[in-house]
Amino acid sequence: MGDECIMSSLQVNNISKSYQLDNKELNVLNDISISLDSGDFLTILGPSGCGKSTLIRCICGMETPDSGEILIDGKPIDGIGPERLMVFQDFNQLFPWKTVEENIVFPLKLNNVSNNKVELNEIAEEFMDIVNLKQFRNAYPNQLSGGMRQRVAIARSLALNPKVLLMDEPFGALDAQTRAILQKELYQLWEKFKTTIIFITHNVQEAIILGSKIIVLGLMPATVKFETTNTIPYPRMPETKEFMSLWKELYGHLETKRF
Amino acid sequence: MTDKVNGEKNKSRLTKISFLLALFLIWEFVPVWTNSAKIIPPFHKVMVAFWTNLWHGDLLQHVAYSLQLIFTGILIGMILAFVLTALCIVSKRFNDIMDVVISIMHPLPGIALLPVVMLIVGLGAKSIIIIIVHSILWPLIVNALAGFNSIPKIQIELGKNLGMKGVKLIWLVMIPNAFPYILSGIKISWARSWRALVSAEMVFGASGMVGGLGWYIYKTRFFMDVSGMFAGLISVIIIGMLVDEFVLKSIEKNTVKKWGMSV
Amino acid sequence: MKKLLTSLLMVILVLSLFSCSSKDPDKVVIAQQFGLGYAPLTLVKELNLIEKYYPNAKIEWAQLGSGGSIREAMAAGQVDVGSMGVPPFLIAWAKGYDYKIMTALCEMPLGLQTNRPEVKSLKDISPQMKIATPSPGSIQHILLSMASEKELGDATALDRNVIAMAHPDAANALINKIEIAAHFTSPPYIFMELESEGIHQVVDAEKDAFGEAFTFLVTAGTGKFKTRNPELFEAVNTALREAIAIMENDPGSVSDIVAPTLNLDRETYLRYCNWPGVKFETEPRGMLKFLDFMNRAGYVSKTTSEQRDLMW
Repeated sequence: MGDECIMSSLQVNNISKSYQLDNKELNVLNDISISLDSGDFLTILGPSGCGKSTLIRCICGMETPDSGEILIDGKPIDGIGPERLMVFQDFNQLFPWKTVEENIVFPLKLNNVSNNKVELNEIAEEFMDIVNLKQFRNAYPNQLSGGMRQRVAIARSLALNPKVLLMDEPFGALDAQTRAILQKELYQLWEKFKTTIIFITHNVQEAIILGSKIIVLGLMPATVKFETTNTIPYPRMPETKEFMSLWKELYGHLETKRF
Repeated sequence: MTDKVNGEKNKSRLTKISFLLALFLIWEFVPVWTNSAKIIPPFHKVMVAFWTNLWHGDLLQHVAYSLQLIFTGILIGMILAFVLTALCIVSKRFNDIMDVVISIMHPLPGIALLPVVMLIVGLGAKSIIIIIVHSILWPLIVNALAGFNSIPKIQIELGKNLGMKGVKLIWLVMIPNAFPYILSGIKISWARSWRALVSAEMVFGASGMVGGLGWYIYKTRFFMDVSGMFAGLISVIIIGMLVDEFVLKSIEKNTVKKWGMSV
Repeated sequence: MKKLLTSLLMVILVLSLFSCSSKDPDKVVIAQQFGLGYAPLTLVKELNLIEKYYPNAKIEWAQLGSGGSIREAMAAGQVDVGSMGVPPFLIAWAKGYDYKIMTALCEMPLGLQTNRPEVKSLKDISPQMKIATPSPGSIQHILLSMASEKELGDATALDRNVIAMAHPDAANALINKIEIAAHFTSPPYIFMELESEGIHQVVDAEKDAFGEAFTFLVTAGTGKFKTRNPELFEAVNTALREAIAIMENDPGSVSDIVAPTLNLDRETYLRYCNWPGVKFETEPRGMLKFLDFMNRAGYVSKTTSEQRDLMW
């Protein structure tokens, strides 16, 4: 545990998905292919409603694409499970009847991370510490702010050491300051554990601050419009020339037309 | 807790206690003033009757009988409710059928069913237990189903994502999420069943001269033992209050309220 | 503080409504009841007998659900005249409620019937057999206890077998052989049971329980009523006695009035009226014996040796 992480590569090959809406077929994802190496921090940019959530839910296993395949370490994914953990935007993603500590320990117990109670508590303690929530270990989610709850969700996920961490606009409901703080914390966590992360956002600035790889998705149906690697060194300051030029480039590819 | 909150709590408690004391005073003197002591005995007479009947009479025996009946009924009712709710969740067709059954049975007060039940099942504790089960079954199922339908989808996705499925998912994620509604159903059920029990006992009577609190009230009425009647009523109130305060409220405090999951 | 006082005041006001209610002196509230034994009441109503003796009488006939309700209504002063069995009256009297007997109503045959051929006397009743009576302390239960004391030496010997059941339900159950083994009852159910197949009598109230003839129903009047209007009180008394005389001497003449209220055809009505043991009377009999038994059994805690104490 700790600094060793399972390195995983993720391969999304030509997936498409459509929904039935009012007797019409809505093509949400169209022939999307993504390639991720282990340790990549991929941010996926796209305007609201373009199917980003559908994509990440397919990778998680909550939905099944109509065609194409998703491979992890070369093998096709098998439904939903803790190897591809999701952090949602909704704050209600903790178990309300469990304390912060219990919310982290419980999934560890479920997945037989250890049979030793002491060891489990140590792991939980380590991750609570990392997200600066140790003094809230006995608090219930209803006593925590939105930002704190997202931290717990992140801690819980990282403690389980998933092959891929999926994040569906996790900071979208937070105020600007909290968002900035959590972005910084998340980046530091990634630097420490080098987890493979896919992070969805509609916020260009956030995509640039966090991602080592950035993809822009087009509007319905979603296709990969643009791909790039983010070479800006950390800390990435929005005022710098390189940041602003990347911002302009990405923004240009973002279709914000309403349909 | 702040001083302000403490002060408010104290004021509240003080008001409640003063009101009770005032009530007892009125109860003590008004019957004598208005010459209706035979109909409503003064407070102290009722208290004496209550105490005497409790320790030297058969009031305790009747209380025990009633409690035994209601706990049996509640146990059976809860198990049945659990099974039926589970079936409703698993099978949409069964849910449809239960919908009709519930619309028919839910509005019926238990005591209205009593004569019919007695015709079919006969006399004895059996019919009363059936009435108790009827009083709690429908609110339990309705509330449990409401609870299950109100489970946020995200909680279930979360559960699956963490590796749970089937029975584990139901027991470890769904039921706790539905718990506030389930507790609500339990509270309603207790109220309904306690009332149904006492009234059924009053109407149905007893077998072999042994019966519950309702029967006790009926007996004292027949013998025009008004103080005894009040003693019976007080017992009904006390038991109702005890369960409400010490069982249900404390469960609520340690679960739903603590978790911030109020319905 | 002000709020508390106002609420206290309201509560006191509400409670004080209990004792007041000024009544029209010419008004009298009589409880209406149904059954062969209460036939004289029906006659009083239909033949306007009270108005015969007190022309300005305003009579209200109160419909109450049970003997218990009537007793309570009389205790509260809302009903002035009501009929009931002797033991329920004695319980009220012993508690000091302000009503006494105006006149007896009737004697009736009462008895314990069974649908079990093997039960020839009380000692043949096994612990599993259920005996239905209307309620504890009812005349039926008391007579059963008296018979029990006589035959088995213990008044409470059969208490474990007794269940409370209303007459019609019990008669139905006995005749159809459901649940109960025996039923201690009064007319008309006793007639129905005795005329049914497979049912025979185990205890006759007069012979085996009480030992002599006794009054079944009495009519009582409240002291309040008597003080409020003694003349009207007497008029009601006289009207009742006249009705009782008619029922005893010439029931056939009023069959058109009484039989329909009992859902009986004229033939059955007359058969019941002439059944041995059915007697309408004004002078109560056997009350002290009841009182003594009930006192010994703990149903009442007051007793007297003068029947006059129970009557106006």
